[in-house]
Amino acid sequence: MPAADAANAIEVHGLRKTFGDFVAVNSIDFNVGHGEIFGFLGPNGSGKTTTIRMLCGVIAPTDGGARVMGYDVCAESERVRENIGYMSQKFSLFQDLTVDENLKFYAGVYGLSDEKFAERREYILTMADLHGRETEMTGDLSVGWKQRLALGCATIHEPRLIFLDEPTSGVDPMARRQFWELLHDLAASGVTLFVTTHYMDEATHCNRLAFIYRGDIIAEGTPNEVKGALMRDTILQVEVDDGEGALAALEGSPGIGEAYMQGALLHVNIGERTAAEADLPGLLGPLGFDVRSVEPVEPTLEDAFVHLVTSQKGAST
Amino acid sequence: MRRIYAIARKEFIHIVRDPRTMIAVLIMPLLQLFLFSYAVSFDVKDLPTALLDQDHTAISRQYVDALKQSNYFVVKQNLTSASEIDGIFDRNQARVVVVIGPGFGDSVAAGRAGAVQILIDGSEPNSAQLGQAYANGLSQIWGAKTTIAQAEASGFNVAQAGGLTARTRIWYNPEGRSASYLVPGLIVLLITVMTVQQTANTLVSEKEQGTYEQLVVSPIRRIELMIGKVMPWAVMAALNVITVSAIGLLVFQIPFRGSVLLFALASFLFVLCVLGLGLVVSARASSTEVANQLAMMISFLPAFMLSGFVFPLANIPPVLQGLSYLFPARYMTVVSRTVFLKGGGWDVLWPQVAALAVYAVVIITLSSLLYRERS
Repeated sequence: MPAADAANAIEVHGLRKTFGDFVAVNSIDFNVGHGEIFGFLGPNGSGKTTTIRMLCGVIAPTDGGARVMGYDVCAESERVRENIGYMSQKFSLFQDLTVDENLKFYAGVYGLSDEKFAERREYILTMADLHGRETEMTGDLSVGWKQRLALGCATIHEPRLIFLDEPTSGVDPMARRQFWELLHDLAASGVTLFVTTHYMDEATHCNRLAFIYRGDIIAEGTPNEVKGALMRDTILQVEVDDGEGALAALEGSPGIGEAYMQGALLHVNIGERTAAEADLPGLLGPLGFDVRSVEPVEPTLEDAFVHLVTSQKGAST
Repeated sequence: MRRIYAIARKEFIHIVRDPRTMIAVLIMPLLQLFLFSYAVSFDVKDLPTALLDQDHTAISRQYVDALKQSNYFVVKQNLTSASEIDGIFDRNQARVVVVIGPGFGDSVAAGRAGAVQILIDGSEPNSAQLGQAYANGLSQIWGAKTTIAQAEASGFNVAQAGGLTARTRIWYNPEGRSASYLVPGLIVLLITVMTVQQTANTLVSEKEQGTYEQLVVSPIRRIELMIGKVMPWAVMAALNVITVSAIGLLVFQIPFRGSVLLFALASFLFVLCVLGLGLVVSARASSTEVANQLAMMISFLPAFMLSGFVFPLANIPPVLQGLSYLFPARYMTVVSRTVFLKGGGWDVLWPQVAALAVYAVVIITLSSLLYRERS
């Protein structure tokens, strides 16, 4: 039985992992409540996957510890693994096995009884919309189907906590939306989801977020709380003929916090000033740039993320 | 048990579904068996021979007739003077030159030993050695009347060959048929190459697919994963031992003189050894390419060169001899040949069987340690 009476699905205290001199995860703390969709964000190489691997009991922490579904990840790693689901961006399906054979394989790995398997198989085929494709080769399925089948395999044993490591990378927007609907359904039934993602728009699906950067958690809270880090700053969206050139010109200019490309547009953090005070056309015009429009925008999670990372870099140098 | 079964079942599906694996497992061994046994025959027959008869007597012609009837020598040309011998090997016109000196007939007629000189092209040692033995034997049979002065060409050292004692007799394989000593050795080679290669790949390919990542977060234990993964290959190896042996017995008519039980037990231990070798590679290799190359290095080369399969172990340099003890093929080749051809039992083969048992325990332990460490 999962120790469901544990106060939180995940409790992390002082979790640390070093590889030689390299600190991958630097003594982090956080909790994830039951039924939450918890977003774990950060650039590549920031320690996301290392953290997940420790929480799944695959690698041992250098220091500190964590309890997952009430079990200690070091001392009771096998119990941890029985009680979690895990899905990565690679989908972990056997391409040369049929849909049914994949399901049957994972049912065997988790030791499901025949009756239980029949019930779960039916549920997953419905959930993933794979009825009628049971005998198709997994390799021939579209990415969206593979993704849902992978989720089905990862949850065949009905875990109450699922780790999803960038489950939507490389998937088209439509399939991503459908996938998030499935995740919301799971969360509604009380399952806790621990999700890492690159997509900032996906982060808004989460109840709570943590930003990890170079092994440290640099922000934590609801999406609004995280954006609140920028509450007093103004973000300007600038349309200019030569975005890259303007970006280079703005970086290092006095009073400019961060500037970066957001699609074809520039996002510029001008701190606690108004658009008129910053006068970007007056700054860029004489340098030969044609500024077509400037308008203040509501800070997005991406703005917050860039701000956090930039200020972190500033602090460390 | 359930988990092991799930893994093994999945592995079987992989094998059956991949045509390349199926060919490698089922067709390749048979192909190699026929290749080695027919094309790469070490039998020496119809050696092209040049003849210089300087005697021209009835007795010398009798000797030449006996030579021709032996099947081992085919007289391609008759030389008229000794100067023609020079360069005859270089031009590959003959491998053997038989010189009957003047006075041969007189000597024999007078009850003294007649002298015949036989020159052999040593650039291909195998046929040279056999040709030499045949010529020697032939003269023995023809009568003690003949002594043979033998000379070497192209670096073949007669003194080292040691096959020239007066009474050469070949036991166990009297016809000197290649198949009889090839097939028992070939079984060992084939099992080694297939099993090491395939097991070396099994875990690495799973890592490349990303499915390994999924399995390590499941409750499955490393040891269960390992057993499940090698089980199908153990079965395949057993099938191969049986089919190759059966073809050897039925098609190539090789004998099986020893104990089936002993052979089965030794084969079982041997398969464990090569599975272990494959697993060690799998646990260490970073990609399927590396795995394949490593597997080739520790399977094919030792099983081919250091097992006694083609080169007698006593004749290879001491360093390589020492190295050969590190690979299981050398023990199994002895067992296989002894059981098939000599009918030797426990009393003679226990050291080899014991070596295989120890080897199996050590290598399986090592590979499971490597697996655990991998986390």
